[in-house]
Amino acid sequence: MHKLILIPLFALAVLQWSFTEVSKYEKAMKSSIEKVYMAKNIEEYQNAINSFERIAQKETDKWEPLYYSAFGYVMISTRVEELGEKDKYLDLAKEKISEASALAPGEDEIVALEGFVHMMRVAADPATRGQQYSGLAMQALNKAVAMDGENPRALYLLGQMEFGTAQFFGSDTAMACEKLQKAVSLFQTQQPESVIAPMWGARQAEAAAQRCGAPAGE
Amino acid sequence: MKTLLTLLILFPSLALAQSTISGTVTSDKGEPIPGANVFLDGTYDGTSTDINGQFNFSTEEEGNHKLIVAFIGYTKETIAVTLPQNLSYNFSLKEEINRLDAVVISAGSFSAGEESNREVLKPLDIVTTAGATADIAGALNTLPGTQTVGETGRLFVRGGEGYETRTFIDGMEVLNSYAPSAPNTPGRARFSPFMFSGTSFSTGGYSAEYGQALSSALILNTKEIAEVDRTDISLMTVGADISHSQSFEKSSISGKIQYTNLTPYFELVKQKINFEKAPESFDGNMAYRHKVGDDGLLKVYGNFNKTDFVIYRPQIFDEELEDKVDLSNSYGHLNTTYKDILSDQWSLKTGFSITNSEESIVINNQPYDEKTRGAHTKAVLSYDTQSQFSLSFGGEHFYRNSQFDVNQEGAPEFSYNQHIGSAFAEADIYLSNDFVLRTGLRAEHESLSKKYIVTPRLSLAHKLGEKGQVSLAYGKFNQQAQPDYLRVNNNLQSEKAEHYILNYQYLTGKRTFRIEGYYKKYSDLVKFQDAYDQASFSNLGSGFAKGFDVFWRDAQTFTGLDYWVSYSYIDTERDYQDFPTTATPAFSSKHNFSFVTKYFVQSLKTQIGTTYSFGSSRPYNDPNQEGFNTERTPAYHDLSVNFSYLYRSNVIIHASITNVLGVDNIFGYEYSDQQNDQGQFVGRAIKQQAPRFIFLGAFITLSKNKVANQMPNL
Repeated sequence: MHKLILIPLFALAVLQWSFTEVSKYEKAMKSSIEKVYMAKNIEEYQNAINSFERIAQKETDKWEPLYYSAFGYVMISTRVEELGEKDKYLDLAKEKISEASALAPGEDEIVALEGFVHMMRVAADPATRGQQYSGLAMQALNKAVAMDGENPRALYLLGQMEFGTAQFFGSDTAMACEKLQKAVSLFQTQQPESVIAPMWGARQAEAAAQRCGAPAGE
Repeated sequence: MKTLLTLLILFPSLALAQSTISGTVTSDKGEPIPGANVFLDGTYDGTSTDINGQFNFSTEEEGNHKLIVAFIGYTKETIAVTLPQNLSYNFSLKEEINRLDAVVISAGSFSAGEESNREVLKPLDIVTTAGATADIAGALNTLPGTQTVGETGRLFVRGGEGYETRTFIDGMEVLNSYAPSAPNTPGRARFSPFMFSGTSFSTGGYSAEYGQALSSALILNTKEIAEVDRTDISLMTVGADISHSQSFEKSSISGKIQYTNLTPYFELVKQKINFEKAPESFDGNMAYRHKVGDDGLLKVYGNFNKTDFVIYRPQIFDEELEDKVDLSNSYGHLNTTYKDILSDQWSLKTGFSITNSEESIVINNQPYDEKTRGAHTKAVLSYDTQSQFSLSFGGEHFYRNSQFDVNQEGAPEFSYNQHIGSAFAEADIYLSNDFVLRTGLRAEHESLSKKYIVTPRLSLAHKLGEKGQVSLAYGKFNQQAQPDYLRVNNNLQSEKAEHYILNYQYLTGKRTFRIEGYYKKYSDLVKFQDAYDQASFSNLGSGFAKGFDVFWRDAQTFTGLDYWVSYSYIDTERDYQDFPTTATPAFSSKHNFSFVTKYFVQSLKTQIGTTYSFGSSRPYNDPNQEGFNTERTPAYHDLSVNFSYLYRSNVIIHASITNVLGVDNIFGYEYSDQQNDQGQFVGRAIKQQAPRFIFLGAFITLSKNKVANQMPNL
């Protein structure tokens, strides 16, 4: 009799355990993701990164916490002035990206974020770094788009790079704008795969697409 | 009851025991650390410290746990805690020695690299410096500590001759690193600046790892694995080249072939030298990179070059008589290095390089052959905990062989075979992030002189606040006697120099200020009366050099403008070679000044570079006068400009003109051996081959990814 009761109880316990673990992960991620998207200054970004680091050190097989830590570091790099400081945070971002891609080598979001890091290196000192890092950025972003042609972040970043290049050389921006507009419409229509899937970039993509002016044909 | 217990074990969430953990986190200097991560190992529970370094969080965990405090730049702290209970801790974190932020020894050294923002020069600077025409030595000649010696193109550092600057690629020695050139015309460094990701140009006081260099070490580090596939084509007024890089998962291979021929250019622009055949050269480069395991990297680099030209040289005594000089040179250099991380603390660097150079000079049908061979093997082990202390030690072996054949019956053979074995060790001690001491020792044995030489090195640097730092360096250096002399007398010892350097550097944003004073003492310099008489040689020469160098670079004050100013003052005298007395050598000018600007005109998509170089008068010896090296040349002036126009994201059009003003610079005078009817030695000025050198080129990059060469701000 006792044994009979114990079996369903045990099963229930396992179920509760696995359920709470998953939801606990998602819950913790969700609140941390909100923190990183809402962050207004370096301190808030650092706090959000700290949350992701705490999650990452427990969930050693998940790439997302590492991804968001990296994203947070990229954001901090845009808020510091000095070149050495920018590099410090971009180095930290790159470190996290390497750890993340070791866990999920086929994840296009990670590759796109890597492209973003290279882009920020160029932005930090275009004259001396353009040649090296814009090549790396283009390579990573093209790879991300090749992995998933519907990744709005990869399309937006690639479009942004192409737009800057085309504008600088006074050549045609049509190809770049096509990507930016596709990114904007994907941002509007695409449903995130999960509550913790990356969602950033819509506003920036819209702003970038606006520089294209009215779409061709209108 | 039993059931309830089972339920409690199975559903721990039903039993809630909360603990509160609070406290503060400060640095070891007592300042609060905001943003530190405080958490229980293996759980989600934790928090970040606030602006006052305070933290407070609660947890439902029970049993034994580890409480961790982490913050970038500080050593992680861990303590064991048993829960549930309310705990309060005050943590004091120790600052990590961060090699990126920490003080670096800057005495005597100029480094150029891609990564670090504190580099004085970027690799691109070498290519875009006007007047340098993409020659490494040419660009470095705009830095203080160097002398303008326009007729050689080499790096003469602080009273040292051109040969006293040694070139190392990935730590391995390169022999004959300049391409051959007609007498009294500048030779170019053999290696393309595009190959390197980092350059360190040391004007003294360098590490014990680098030996066999009396005055200066030019340390070039080749690029790592190529990450982007690309093809580059260059079309130039002097020739063409094509290169390609292909990257694979764990390796990359790059190759370049180049052909240059100055005939068309010399047809258009009249030269003062009468060429029967203008310099023509074939050049091939190959670089292979392979990643071994997680951290190992194998680099193989090879270069071969064949150059020849024929000139008619008027004799000094009678300009109507011309000597025909026919030179051809074949050169090969192979360089293999392997580095790997052995454990958390230990890493290994090994390498092997060989150089083979064969030069044949036919003067009026009389052939002379010169052969130089060298091999260099090296291994360095480093111990580094990324903390206060690091140590590296190693050994190396140099083999050198040089031969000069006069190709005449009964003529003596001039040659030598030298083996140099050496061991070195060096330790870096960081007393804090603001104070570092480096101390090293190097021991060498030369097979020819059978002498042991032990040379100490010592340097220290102290950071004064965020931006300024002061460094000191001292060292003894030695270098085997020049091949020309050692061939004649195999017993010559190493020449020696002692460097004392005091440096102050101030870095702020994109501005750099440096001032460096030095004193250098030479001893055991080679002396002779007759360069072909073995018995007339000795190591009894000596000399000194003292002076100071000032450098200012500013890429901040004026939008789009990057400029630097170098000034060097030097007072030097030596008694060496066939000097009858102590005198200032002919290559030395008291004042050297360079002003380099780079300005990017956005609307024209063009970078405009200018370089003005000044060298005060140089001594020369007029045998018709009393005394030695008492005469002085006029001062040297050169204004060079270049333009780089970004036609497309992958096409650059480059134009450069040296000596725009066409100043007829005189580098010195040479005199005839015999006296004329009036009892005078006949003199002739050594001048530039042509007033100007004009270069035009188009550089095209083909790549799957449209690579921008310059990117606007995003």
